[in-house]
This record gives sequence, structure tokens and C-alpha cells, in this order.
Amino acid sequence: MNPKINIKDYESVVGKNYIEELRMLANRLSGKTILNINSTFVGGGVAEILSRLVPLLNQLGVDVRWQVIPGEAQFFKVTKKFHNALHGKVESISDDDFSVFLETTAKNASQIDFSGDILFIHDPQPAALITKKSDIGKDWVWRCHIDISQPDNRVWNFLKQFVVNYDAGIFSSPNFAQELPIPQFFAPPSIDPLSEKNKELPPEALETVLTKYGLDADKPLILQVSRFDRLKDPLGVIRAFQLVRRNFACQLVLAGGTATDDPESEEVLKEVKERAGDNSDIHILDIPPGSDVDINALQRAATVIMQKSLREGFALTITEALWKAKPVVASAVGGIPLQVKDKLTGLLCHSIEGAAYALRQILANPDYGHWLGRNGKEHVRQHFLITREIRDYMLIFLTLGRREDIIYL
Amino acid sequence: MDWVRANIAVPVLVFLGVLFVSLWLRRIAYNALERWLKERKSEVGKIIISVTRGPFLHWLLILGAYIAIQVSVLTPRWKSDGGKILASIFIAHLGWILIRLGRDLVQLYLNKAKVPQRAITVTTSIIQVAIIVIGILILLELWRLPTTPILIAAIAVIVIAILALRDIFPSLVSGLQLTQQKQIKAGDCIRLESGEEGRVEEITWRNTQIKTLDGSIIIIPNTRLMQTTIVNYGKQPKVAKEPFQFSTRLHLKELTGLNARNLSQLVSRLNEVPDAVVYYHTHNFVEEYQFLTPEPTNDFALWVQDALGYDILAERLASIDTFEFPTIGALRQMIVGVIRDSLAQITHEREAPPGNEFHFIKSISIVLPTPYVAHNLREFVGILKRISIGSLYFHIFEAKLRLQRGTNDFSLWLEDCLEEKELAEQITRLDPYNYTMENLREIIIKLCEKRL
Repeated sequence: MNPKINIKDYESVVGKNYIEELRMLANRLSGKTILNINSTFVGGGVAEILSRLVPLLNQLGVDVRWQVIPGEAQFFKVTKKFHNALHGKVESISDDDFSVFLETTAKNASQIDFSGDILFIHDPQPAALITKKSDIGKDWVWRCHIDISQPDNRVWNFLKQFVVNYDAGIFSSPNFAQELPIPQFFAPPSIDPLSEKNKELPPEALETVLTKYGLDADKPLILQVSRFDRLKDPLGVIRAFQLVRRNFACQLVLAGGTATDDPESEEVLKEVKERAGDNSDIHILDIPPGSDVDINALQRAATVIMQKSLREGFALTITEALWKAKPVVASAVGGIPLQVKDKLTGLLCHSIEGAAYALRQILANPDYGHWLGRNGKEHVRQHFLITREIRDYMLIFLTLGRREDIIYL
Repeated sequence: MDWVRANIAVPVLVFLGVLFVSLWLRRIAYNALERWLKERKSEVGKIIISVTRGPFLHWLLILGAYIAIQVSVLTPRWKSDGGKILASIFIAHLGWILIRLGRDLVQLYLNKAKVPQRAITVTTSIIQVAIIVIGILILLELWRLPTTPILIAAIAVIVIAILALRDIFPSLVSGLQLTQQKQIKAGDCIRLESGEEGRVEEITWRNTQIKTLDGSIIIIPNTRLMQTTIVNYGKQPKVAKEPFQFSTRLHLKELTGLNARNLSQLVSRLNEVPDAVVYYHTHNFVEEYQFLTPEPTNDFALWVQDALGYDILAERLASIDTFEFPTIGALRQMIVGVIRDSLAQITHEREAPPGNEFHFIKSISIVLPTPYVAHNLREFVGILKRISIGSLYFHIFEAKLRLQRGTNDFSLWLEDCLEEKELAEQITRLDPYNYTMENLREIIIKLCEKRL
């Protein structure tokens, strides 16, 4: 996080009222210490979220701390398998794997300093630390950042025996909820409007990036930002573009990278390049990780942004696109329908032909596109910015143990 | 005899004549002045008369003596020296009177501007010193003695004084202007160009204290106040029997873990879920898309259309007018009834595709008091302009249906505490489901402003 960013800077984004309300909640949390525990300080979505949340909450006056669990390589290998299995991927998990997980957790439980009033545990890796609750008490909240809508039952049932002991669980989508005896809250992920990836950019920055990647500033630009993965359906995107290009002069940009832990991605990139052939209006950009300003500029320069995934998590790339007031065409999968309400904040599609039809509607009616984009931006402002995530967490901390439908603070 | 007439009788007669005429003129002038000041009720005039009436006689005596000497047969040198002596007496006397006048006027104005006593003493002393220095300079000039050293010293003192008082002086002048021109006074409701709004609590010589709508006190330097545009609403309008405490409502979405894949499951779950779940799914759209002119729809209608493809049922569900229902229970019965009617006509139920199930979510409202409290209609409007959407939502939507208060909180307060029955009814009649939250805010503000 940019150290210069201050909670006050968000007033211009969400309004003074919103920040005033955050301060009111923060005042009520004064005297409480919240300890976040996850598996890493750097790399991965959770570390990225915490690196922004913790300083902002501290600026609001909430005593929030952050610790990570130590572990051997073997432990993290097991938790990676758990992660994949909870996502629904078939994994070979042995009894030894469960033993490694439990042993490391027991070791960590004896070493970690649990000083705090509320223990905020992120994802499955440290979830079993809840066993310490019988000794130390305190309030425990489990934040599940991953998609567990179709989990491997063996792994989920193993994890569930720990999850049921928490005071509350937080999930990113309604369909991730499980039948659990504890309160489960819905808190979708968020983006930081002041981060490099989302901040406003001057027109010159857009021109620079367009020139850098050899794009035509005068031709409508259709963009999909995603790693080269079959589940993102890049070939479907090219096909939809080809259908649209019969009637509209436009260019397509597929911007992404290849994942080092996904051997298939190189193969997919190769296929995509083959399918694009020598079409000079199709630009395949292999953008290295960390090129946040480039991605930001491409999104801001785009006419339409696509996310024609076959399967998707929450799809923060759609959140980013909507925040830039761009009309989006996206598949109705994963968390996309939560963000894109068809014909109000974007257009949903279920097929390549549907995607092409939606693209044509927007390219032929720029005003309609702008209207969708404006609505999309407002939708993100209300529901998918970091300030909302901060607010949700504070509300959950403040209402732990209260079961009324209307709670007066 | 001639000597007596020339050296004594003539000057004495001239002296008496001048004195007599002058006294007569003074009487006429002061009487006229007193009448004029009485009409204007000028405190300054009163001070001038009271301070100068007695000394005026002394000045006339000096004038008479001066003319008498001039008409006498004394040598020119004696006449000149006598004239200078009388002029010196006059200057000293006038200086003393000006010091008294200055002191009284300073006390009058600065006391009004609530300037601390120490500052009044300092100001009075500065005026005294200034008059004494000027008097000495005139006397030196009169007796043709060198004045340069005193002038240099005086200039140095003035420069130092200006530097020391450069910040205080403009505030002092502004404070005096504010109190004298009476553009604003304690108790007035004002709004500044910068948007700050509230009631004037106190105007001092340096700043003005305003109690804002959220109860905090802001202190504005008078110099800034004089340079800005101020809307002065004047005195507070009618005070409410009870103030209106604005609350705000934030909410959490609790996942119940319950879902439905078809209409039968939907209706079965709908019968068993708590009111907070029905409330969520009938108000979610209004909240989620409060920046759009919302269709008066609900999540059930959207799901039935998007996931199951029952267009007619979706239309019937969407057309349920939430505004008509006094309780969530009654609303639930209506929704269940409409779905059951359709189910009776369906032979083969459709299933939602995997991943498109209906997930039942519970709305948990968290209500907090805000610092905003309205004591009258003007404050109410001022606060309405700045409260959050959550606050507006709580007092309009939740108050009526969830807290079962029969109508919105604003109408209740306007009728019960301000006896604004007509205004209350106008707001009650508004169907909030057909407006965006910002439009709703604007309409209520306009209705209230009309009453003001």
C-alpha cells in the first residue's frame, strides 16, 4: 500500500458521511485489539488485502495487528492441496497430510502470541488454531476467502470440525455458505480505488501505454484481462470478436500472464496466438506480474471490457472494470452476477454468440455503454470498495454474540 | 482715563461680548444636537455631549481672552506671547478632553464586541499616548522648538505597534463591523459559503462561534466571516416539542445456508425463514441499486425470471407493491400466495441450473445514533442535506415496515412534535420505492423548504 494514502483520502471517493460512519464504528471498537492471522505477509490475495486493511483500520483508531503462522515446506504443500480440494479440484490427500497439518497447527498454537480480544483467522491454513479457544477463550472469526461452493467432502468435513467452533464465519459469496451452526456473514471482496491498479490516470499515461503495446488510440478497443487459462475462455473471446469485427472496426486486446504453477498456461497462450493468426487487430499481451499501471491504463483506454470465463471466483477484474466506468460483457458465472446486473450495470452472456451480440449493442450505442458504465461504477462505489469491507468487518466485530435482527449500538 | 479705556475697558468688553455670543451659540448648537441625537438614540452622541459640554465653556473663555488680547494696546511681542500661551493652554486642554472622549468611545465599542478588559486598557493607552505625542508636537511647533527626534521616535513606535497588532487589528475591525452593522447576531441561524451551517452562539472581537448541526462548535475568525457570503436565516423557527435524533443504519448480510432450486422449495423455505430474510429479499434491490430509479421489484421476481424462466410469475411478483403492506408478515403471505397460485398451474417444475440456486440471506440492521439532532424545521432540513443514505433509509424504509411505526419517522416527528400535519402527510404519501434515495432526499427537502 502506498504509505501516503490516508483514510481521509477516501472521503473524495465514498463521501464524508461514509468515513464519518467508519469513525463512529471505530470509536466503538476502541479498547479492543484485533489480531489477524494468516499464512503469509507477501504474495497472494489475502496478504494484499491485509496490507491495506490493517493500516487503514489503524488510522481509524482500531488496534489491529497481523501475524503469520510459521510452517515447514511440507505443511504448506499440504495446505495447497487442501486449497485445491476445497475449490473442487481432485487431489490425492493421505492421512499423513492431515497429520502434518495437525502437528504444525499444534506447534503454532503453542508458539503464537494470541494477545488480542478478537482473533481474525484467514483461510484454511491457520483455521485449526481454534483448538486454542478452550484454553484462552476470546472471540474467534474465520474469514474464508476461497470458493468452497463445491468442496471435496473429505477435506471440508475435516476442516468443518474446526470451523464450527468459531463465533462467526465470513464468506465471499452466498453460494459459498455451508450449513453450519455458527453465524455466517456475506462480505464480498473489494478493490482499493486508490491503488496503482485503480487510481485515476492522466490522459498521457493512457497514450504512453497504448503506444507501448502498439495499439490504435482511434479504434474501439475490446479488452479481456486474465491469465491464459482455458477457464477464462480466451478462444471464445477471439471468436466473439471475430463475429463483431464483421460489422465494426475494432481491436481486441487479451492482456494477461502465464502462471508459473500452471504448466497449461504456456500451452493455452500458444493456442491463443495460433487462433489470432496474423490478424493485426488482435493483440496478445503477455504482461508480467506487477504491471498494475499498465493494466489500469489498458482498462481505462478500453471501449468494452470482457470477462467471458467458463468458471470464475468473484472476478475482481470485473470490479476493476466497473470502477473505471466501462461497459462490461461478462459470463453469468461465479461472482459476476453479484456485480453485473444484466442491462443495468453491464451485459451478461451465456455463449460466444451472446457475447458477440452484447458487444455489438455497446459498440453501436456508445451512450448506452456510458450509461451502463456509470451505473457499474456507482454499484462498485456502494458495495465493492475497501471501505465497505472495512465497515463489514467492524460491524461483525461489534455485533459478535448478538443474535437480534435489529441491533442498536 | 483713555489708558483705562484702551487697556482695560475695551478688552474686557470684547471678552464679555465674545463670551456672551459664544455661550448663546453653544446653547443653541447643543440643544439642536441633543434633539438630533435623541431621535437617533446615538450612544456616541451622548458621550460627545457629556464630555465636551463643560470644557466648551473653558474653550470659549480662552477664545474670548485671545480676542481681548488682540484688541488691546499691548506690544506685538506681548500679544504674540499671550496668544501662544493661550493656544498652548487650549491644546493641552483639548488633548485632555480627546483622551477622555477616546477612552469612553473605546470602552463603548470594545465592550460591545466583548473585547477582554486587558485589550481595552491597551487600546486606551495607545490612544492616550498618540494624543499626547501629537499635542507635544503641535506645542513644539507653536514655540518653534525642534520636533524631529520626537517624530522619529513616534514613527518607530507606530511601526512597532503596527507589526505587533497586524493580526489583531483586522479581527478587531471586523468584530466591530459585525457588531455595529448587526448583519448577524447571537441566536441567528446562518449558512456560510463553505457549507458550514448552524446557530450563532457568540460574536467576540476576534471570532464568531457557531454551533453546527452535529452539535460541534466551530470558531470562525471575524476577518474570514466578513469576506465570505453568509446566508442569514434569522432567528430559529418554531422549536419542536422533542428534538429529532437522526440515527443511521448499517447492515450485515447473514447467510442462512438455506437455498432453493425450484418453486416448491422456494415457497417452503419462505414459510419458515425469519422476517429479516423476507425483508432482505424485498429490499435488497432498493439498497443495492439505490442510485438507479428502482423498479419496485424483489429478489424473488428476479430469480424466478432469470433462473427459472417463469416470466408471468416474475411479473406478478415484481408488481407486488411493498409500500402497501404494514408488516413483513402480510408481505410474506402475499408473495407465498402468488407463488402458490402459479405452482397450482404448473405440471412439471423447472429446476435452476447448478450455481443459480436461490440463497436465503438475512438482513441484520445495525442502528447507531448520529451527532445530528434537529430542534426545528430549519435544522431538520440542514441535517437532511448532509446525513448518509443509511440514515435516510433507516428513517424512511425501516421505520415503517420493519419497526412497524405505521409511517416514516420524519412524518411522525413533524406531526407530533412540530404540528406540521400537512407536511407530514405529504411525506407519508410519497412512495419511497419509486425514487432513488437521492431523489427522495431532494423531494423531502423541497417540501420542507416550502414550509420555511
